[in-house]
Amino acid sequence: MASTENNALLSVRDLVVEFETDQGVLRAVDGVSFDIHPGETLGLVGESGCGKTVTGLSMLGLVPSPPGRIASGSIMFDGSDLVSMDETGLREIRGSQISMIFQEPMTALNPVFRIGSQMRDVLQRHQKLTRRQAHSTAIEMLAKVGIPEPAGRVDDYPHQLSGGMRQRVMIAMALSCGPKLLVADEPTTALDVTTQAQVLEQVVRLQKEFGMAMILITHDLGVVAETCQQAVVMYCGRIVERSSIEALFASPRHPYTAGLLASIPRVTDERQEVLPVIPGMVPDLLHLPQGCAFAERCSRVRDRCRQKSPRLELLQSTQTSVACYEPNA
Amino acid sequence: MEVFQYVLRKLLAGIPLVLGVTLISFVLIVYFGPDKTYELLGKNPTADEIAEIRSQLGYDQPFVTRYMDYLREIVTLDFGSSESTDEKVSSILARTVPTSIALAIPGFVLGNLLGVVLALVAAYYRGFWVDKFIMGFAAVGMSISFLIAIIGFQILFSSSDGLDLLPVRGWDMSTPLQYIRYVTVPTLATVFVALGYNTRFYRAVIVEEMTRDHVRTARAFGVPPVQLFYRNILKNSMIPIVTRIMFSIPVIVISGSLLLESYFGIPGVGKVTYDAIVTGDQPILKAVVVLTAVLFVIAQLLADICYRVVDPRVSLK
Amino acid sequence: MSARAEVAVSVGAHGDSLWSKALRKFRRDRVGMWSLAVVLAYAVVALGVVLGLWAGDWADVSGPKWAPVSGEYWFGTNIIGQDIFARSLYSTRTAFEVGLVVALGATALGAVLGSTAGFFSGSWIDEVIIWLMGVLDSVPFILLVAAISYTLQGSPWAMHIAMIATFWIGTARLIRGEVIKLKSLEYVEAAHAIGVSRFMIIFRHILPNTFHILLVQATLSFVAAIKSEVILSFLGLGVKDGMSWGLMISESTFEVLAGFFNNFIAASVLMFGLVMAFNMFSDALQDALDPRTVK
Ligand SMILES: Nc1ncnc2c1ncn2[C@@H]1O[C@H](COP(=O)(O)OP(=O)(O)O)[C@@H](O)[C@H]1O
Ligand code: SF4
Ligand SMILES: [Mg+2]
Repeated sequence: MASTENNALLSVRDLVVEFETDQGVLRAVDGVSFDIHPGETLGLVGESGCGKTVTGLSMLGLVPSPPGRIASGSIMFDGSDLVSMDETGLREIRGSQISMIFQEPMTALNPVFRIGSQMRDVLQRHQKLTRRQAHSTAIEMLAKVGIPEPAGRVDDYPHQLSGGMRQRVMIAMALSCGPKLLVADEPTTALDVTTQAQVLEQVVRLQKEFGMAMILITHDLGVVAETCQQAVVMYCGRIVERSSIEALFASPRHPYTAGLLASIPRVTDERQEVLPVIPGMVPDLLHLPQGCAFAERCSRVRDRCRQKSPRLELLQSTQTSVACYEPNA
Repeated sequence: MEVFQYVLRKLLAGIPLVLGVTLISFVLIVYFGPDKTYELLGKNPTADEIAEIRSQLGYDQPFVTRYMDYLREIVTLDFGSSESTDEKVSSILARTVPTSIALAIPGFVLGNLLGVVLALVAAYYRGFWVDKFIMGFAAVGMSISFLIAIIGFQILFSSSDGLDLLPVRGWDMSTPLQYIRYVTVPTLATVFVALGYNTRFYRAVIVEEMTRDHVRTARAFGVPPVQLFYRNILKNSMIPIVTRIMFSIPVIVISGSLLLESYFGIPGVGKVTYDAIVTGDQPILKAVVVLTAVLFVIAQLLADICYRVVDPRVSLK
Repeated sequence: MSARAEVAVSVGAHGDSLWSKALRKFRRDRVGMWSLAVVLAYAVVALGVVLGLWAGDWADVSGPKWAPVSGEYWFGTNIIGQDIFARSLYSTRTAFEVGLVVALGATALGAVLGSTAGFFSGSWIDEVIIWLMGVLDSVPFILLVAAISYTLQGSPWAMHIAMIATFWIGTARLIRGEVIKLKSLEYVEAAHAIGVSRFMIIFRHILPNTFHILLVQATLSFVAAIKSEVILSFLGLGVKDGMSWGLMISESTFEVLAGFFNNFIAASVLMFGLVMAFNMFSDALQDALDPRTVK
């Protein structure tokens, strides 16, 4: 929860990220705030293009620049502000204190180096290990993420492994220096369904084992329900709802969250019902409406929704924050 | 063994290409080429004399027979002697190829090296004024004719209206100093023009690599810029770079820089080729065309082997 | 489906959207618009020569040797007293003639052979065209010009033909790749299914969707042709009857050593202006037509 008493590991405040485009300045992340405590998992949810990846990249100072930049806000991590930190400082943190794994395992590894070489490189840089120590640590890590015959695989090139295996390598690499925070950007989206479950399970197990905090970026609320303690729902670069998992699933406050929840398939249902989808289209970030960005798709829309966009406000009753004039009860 | 088989297969696959080149050169240079009959005859030749010369030259033979003769010469690497000087073609090449290489190497190396460096700086600052300045300079290099650059540098360094430091034309490699004196102006002109194209090409390649996912991954693991450049960008850009460099080699070795050599009167292959064009000296033209094609096949082969070295995904199958 | 393929589908589906968007983008490109204006100004000069409005007297010997710049001889005169200004204007016409003939010829040939190879990719037709491209690529360009010139017995068109014979290759390679991508798309397959002939499929359904590539390639060929003309004319393999920047520069090579620069400067600066403007126009065009940046 975004509270002022702060023993949080990471605390993001009013983060704004903008991209310079041919047609003007595009605000991909607009006033995002959240906290994560050590060992906690936060789910970052929303449709494609709503700013999840850009938010995740901001945690490592990796917003592609140009055209992008963090326009304002702060990201406090372990007592220092990552937004104002210089490149050298950030490099110390990347891969050792905060790690990130990406959506696309097929292209995320360097194709022209063996995976062992890429893993050793991280370990030798951050942990000051010798080549030999780094090599055996790399093999241990590969074993931990469930790669069979790790001593042999370590000499493979990325293209010799399947997508699922490559994502495991990424996870092994990300965890190899024992980071305090893992940003996992849709780690399973690109994999086939059975591999998805295995890889996700692996991530969650290792997270517990290593005691790290995690930001799990996904567009799948089902995954969030299984793995996270808190959730942040984003729409057009803004947070529309932020709450604990229990509260979110028991009573979603924002009409958008409610719509997302209604569209999760339920395995327990006997009959195959037609899932409701949220009607309408996501507005273009360059031409956001004046009021609530969700207004065009919202069944509860009122006049004032179109005048001024609602602020994220804490509902005292449930400790849930919602940006909506007409939240569900 | 695998490599050996591969080389053999590739060389065999190059045969149709070389055959194609020989066919084109035969048709254009020999079959429809200049008719030598009257050059070899005295004044007022009789019909018999004409017929005799024509049969000596093989003009009375059918197309296929003449082409086969041509091929035979190529396969046996016997290109005969120059028609204007009677020197053996092989000895002409042995004499002129080193000169062409000595002339071309400095411009080639500097043009590519500086091209990569400028491209890198431009790519690193892409979108900023440094980038715009470098790319503007490249655009100028691309828009200036090679001939104009040659004349411009000649005026600047070799004429009494300029610095008047270096020889106007000619060639001398007897001492390193003389070599530098003669090679400077051609090299500057080459580099100036080549930089335009090279910088643009290398920048595009580097920018493409810079925006790849694995570069972002490397940055997310704290890889510092210098290492990022070597391990993630340069090594991955090697395929287009190697291709560009390999395929310039045949042109340098054989036709040399025809323009530079004929402009400055430098006795390299380019000059010999140009003179042969002007006088219609067929044995030399034949040799140059065929050797260029063979070198292209070899360049392709070397490029493939380099790809295998820099990129494990490429297999020599 | 890749992003490019999607863009292509949308082009196929609603024809002019790529073009109207590209036009809008191009209009906003200041450098692009300025360079287009410069190119058009040159084109007007060339057209004026064709229509006989000016520079008809380019070959007349009207003045003294090496006259300086004056009200009568704007750029001075050359070694035999011909007006350099008139010769410069006439050469602009030659540049456009060479550029346009070669650009149109090479692009058309590249489009036809490239799309044919792409459409029949994997078959012997494709193999033959690829072989031809490899062969022509391996013949040194100047030798090819010389050889074609022999064959055509010194025809003034030998240069144009030789350029077309080599410049089409780059276009054909691009078009071949694009066509291979396009032909697996739905609307092409649909055309197949309803029995449209192969010829119609290539020329009615596929080629129009590669037009943006052809346009850019044509601008590149135009520039390459003008630049090659200078070198070939200097070597005596280029423009045969008439006047061109290349011939002016060859004339000037010994003039400059004697300290007379007018011929050299006039031809160089005019040529540089056109080539630079055309290069920048071509860049702006590529930007405007790039499916990745068209929004
Ligand atoms: N490099 C970039 N240049 C311009 N715009 C970008 C760039 N990266 C992301 N964006 C914009 O930021 C928005 C959010 O993107 P992203 O965070 O990737 O969304 P997602 O929630 O799917 O991960 C998108 O609408 C996109 O247009
Ligand atoms: S603010 Fe209004 S339009 Fe927006 S979600 Fe709430 S009810 Fe709907
Ligand atoms: Mg994303």
